[in-house]
Amino acid sequence: MVGELIASDAFIKGCAAIGAGLAVGLAGIGAGLGESGIGAAAVGATAEDRGFFGLGILFTVIPETIVIFGLVISFILMFAYG
Amino acid sequence: MLKPERMVKVSVVGPKDYFEKVSEILYDLNILHIEDPIETEYFKLGEPFEKASIVSRRLVQLRSILSYLKLDPEKYFPKRKFRAEEIVAELDAKLEEYRNEIGAKIDKIKELQERLKTLEEELRVLEPLKTLGIPPKLLKGYKTIKPFVGFVKVDPRPKIREITEDFLAVLKDYGKEYVIAVFVKVENAEDVFKVLQECGFREVTIPDIEDFDARINEIKAEISSIQEEIKRLESEIEETRAKEADLMLAIEEYLSMELEKSELPLRSLVSKYVFVTVGYIPAKDFEKFRSRVESETDGKVTVEILEDKENFNPPTKLTNPAYVRDFEVLSTTFAIPKYHEIDPTVIMAIFFPLFFGMMLGDIGYGAIITAIALYLKRIFKTEGWQKLLNIAVYSGVSSIIFGFIYGECFGPFIAGEGLSPSEVHWFGNLMASIYAFNHGHPLFDRVESFGVKALLFITLVIGMFKLLWGFALGFRNVAVEHGFKEALLEKGCWFIGVLGLSFIIFGFAYNLGIFTTPPPDGFGKLLPDNLFIFGSYTVEQAKNVPLPIPGLVKGWQTGVNVFYFAALPLLIIWFILFAKVEIPKMGAMGIIMGVELLTWFGQILSFARLLAIGLSSVYFAYVFNYLSLKIAFPPGMAILPLGIIVLLIGHLINLMLGILDPGLQSLRLHYVEFFTKFFEGGGVLYKPFGRIKKFLE
Repeated sequence: MVGELIASDAFIKGCAAIGAGLAVGLAGIGAGLGESGIGAAAVGATAEDRGFFGLGILFTVIPETIVIFGLVISFILMFAYG
Repeated sequence: MLKPERMVKVSVVGPKDYFEKVSEILYDLNILHIEDPIETEYFKLGEPFEKASIVSRRLVQLRSILSYLKLDPEKYFPKRKFRAEEIVAELDAKLEEYRNEIGAKIDKIKELQERLKTLEEELRVLEPLKTLGIPPKLLKGYKTIKPFVGFVKVDPRPKIREITEDFLAVLKDYGKEYVIAVFVKVENAEDVFKVLQECGFREVTIPDIEDFDARINEIKAEISSIQEEIKRLESEIEETRAKEADLMLAIEEYLSMELEKSELPLRSLVSKYVFVTVGYIPAKDFEKFRSRVESETDGKVTVEILEDKENFNPPTKLTNPAYVRDFEVLSTTFAIPKYHEIDPTVIMAIFFPLFFGMMLGDIGYGAIITAIALYLKRIFKTEGWQKLLNIAVYSGVSSIIFGFIYGECFGPFIAGEGLSPSEVHWFGNLMASIYAFNHGHPLFDRVESFGVKALLFITLVIGMFKLLWGFALGFRNVAVEHGFKEALLEKGCWFIGVLGLSFIIFGFAYNLGIFTTPPPDGFGKLLPDNLFIFGSYTVEQAKNVPLPIPGLVKGWQTGVNVFYFAALPLLIIWFILFAKVEIPKMGAMGIIMGVELLTWFGQILSFARLLAIGLSSVYFAYVFNYLSLKIAFPPGMAILPLGIIVLLIGHLINLMLGILDPGLQSLRLHYVEFFTKFFEGGGVLYKPFGRIKKFLE
């Protein structure tokens, strides 16, 4: 019964969808945690010196790429099993 | 466009008698970027011309009036301009007038405000005393009795009673405290005072007046007359401000110019008889500059080009056409390019709106952004705002164009299968009929599965292209500054590495059949399907080994196509160059730094956000459309207003996200993924001696 369920197409599709969601969601949480500290410091530095703004944005968004990795993984999952 | 303006270093040398004249000429020419000099044994920094002290005194007076009137030369736009001669003729009289008309009035207002403060202070004392109900003359002036008048926090009477029964106390509630008057015999005064202090006593000085009420009324009358007087003076000042603003700012500009001119010696070197001013001018203006200076000084002052290779640090003058110039506000926020560097503004001017449109891609949102930006352009007139809003207009227009391609106007009219356009969009049928020329389909549908896949691949190609371009520009920058070999090791190495990486991505995509199978699995038959090295395989067979790594994947020979074959030598060259750079620096461990190639892979993937941000906004819009339609027209009844509210709120949120996110992400793709490959910055902006007149003709 369980074996049948696990082997069923719907189950695999469902797991892929959950996996895709987790990939984006967890990556998002991680990136958010990473960005919070950098962002706070960047805002502080920008308040001291406006010229830091560009570099501040650059530093702040560096962890964001991780979300894109998560997103790409989720796309691959959806293409493969969705 | 890509390169900053060519500069030459020039020296202006002449006898000191001509210094003031030269200062006038240079200021008028407005092209010499002065280099701040270093003193030597014989040449010292000069002192400002004589007129400087008078001019600066006048300027300080005028500016203090301007700051009181809140007239900011940066933000004020003149209705008429004045000629310098007009200003000179009227200068003294006008300044005198301002001093008397406005300066004196401002002083008067300040004086009145001071008086107002003392009166209010007095009122604050009198009003509580009045509540005691004792005439002022009875509150002081006794010989054997000591009166204490003031505020206390708690009632002190029980405690006083412990010292003496012989006292009189009047206590009245006054807000959070009590007003109190205690009369005791002089011999008990000290003890009672201690008790009062314990109760938080604050003494009040009794004024020399006859009657509280009379005095309070007097003060109130005076306060109101003072307030009226201040109001009158302020309205008079306001009148003068409205009438004289243009002229005042013109005078301010004239005086500032005079001051700047007279301070030229501070930025030059002088000896006993001569002066030397050194600076940079655009190479193309040199002849004009020299002939003007030399002819107007009868050849007494000479201008020469200094061939000084070591101390050649010219400023950066960006030379962009009008459209591109708007984007300088974005590129220079990152950094100001050095003189030898490429100015990336023009590249940004092309790709920023493109990326923005690609992400947002919606006719409706694009139109709203364009309209808002055009409206705000009429309100915010400062240069920075105008540039930013121009960028918003370009981005909005780009969104409209991409919106047409994607077939979206406040959301898509086709979403998935099984739903008709009228179910997912309020004007779905209308939209579908507009696209009748394409069988009711958008030119490119990024919502359905082929669209997503195709766009993902397109964004990755854009990523590879931008990275390679970045390294190529970096190669050029380093080659100009440090020579070919350095450039090859520092940037060329990574260019080759990323090129190899790109071939691997193409090889992978080929094995997946993206170039050989028709949609929805690929782009159609763009390439023959037998481009394999180890035998005559087909893409169908290679699909099982998309990434053929020898030893790791069984039957890897099947998957080795021409792209992989081309990547191999590139990666080998990259590795050799890379090892050559890193091993001397870090020893054999330096090889591990090769992992950095994966960072570039990550950055290529990072361009997938061009797809992702857009998709999230599409689905937002789609969900709100679908929801509000369902709410508005449920079977059997109609709650149209509620549906419309949901629709409006939803689109408002989505629009705000749609302005913020694509803008920031597009900026980021430039700053992080592109600029870091070649753009170091650290240049000094070209600021010539002189100014562009705003209030003078």
